Amino acid sequence: MATRKPPPSGRRKRPKPLLAAEVTYVDYKDVKLLKAFVSERGKIRSRRVTGLTPEQQRAVAKAIKNAREMALLPYPSGR
Amino acid sequence: MRRYEVMVILDPESEERTVQPSLEQYLGVVRESGGSVEKVDIWGRRKLSYEIGKKSEGIYAVLDVTCEADTVAELDRQLGLSESVLRTKVVRPEAH
Repeated sequence: MATRKPPPSGRRKRPKPLLAAEVTYVDYKDVKLLKAFVSERGKIRSRRVTGLTPEQQRAVAKAIKNAREMALLPYPSGR
Repeated sequence: MRRYEVMVILDPESEERTVQPSLEQYLGVVRESGGSVEKVDIWGRRKLSYEIGKKSEGIYAVLDVTCEADTVAELDRQLGLSESVLRTKVVRPEAH
C-alpha cells in the first residue's frame, strides 16, 4: 500500500467509517452492505483498507463468513 | 426462552408455494413445546454463490422463532434430515 502513512498533514483522515453511522448489528443477510467489504476475488478487505475499528472489522468479518456458509457470498477464488 | 433466527436453503426443485406448508410442519416442534413463531420470511429462489450438492440455486427462507435452546436444536436437526433442505443456519441476533 503506497498510502500507508501519508504525511500527517491532516489530509485524508478517515477513509470511510461507513458503518459508524447507522449500523449497530452487522447482519450476515445484508449482502449489499457486506459486498462493500469484500474484494472482487471474494477476499475480506483489511482494516487498512476499510478503515473500521477493530470491533467493527471483527463483526464484519464474522458476518461475511456466515454469509459464505449460506452461499450468499462466494469463498475466495483462485490462489 | 430466546429469540433465534433460522435460515433454511431448500431444494430449488420443490414448488415455491409448497414451501410455506412444509416449513409449517417443522415449526410444529416449536409450537408444541411452548415456543412461538414470530415470522416466516420466504425470500424465494436465489442464485447460490457456489454450488451446493450440484445445485446452483436454492429457495431461501428465514424463520424468526422464540423458544428454548433444546427446541431449536431439535428443529435444526429435523430440518437437516430432510432431503429437500440443502443447508440451515441458526443465529442468535442478540448475541452479536
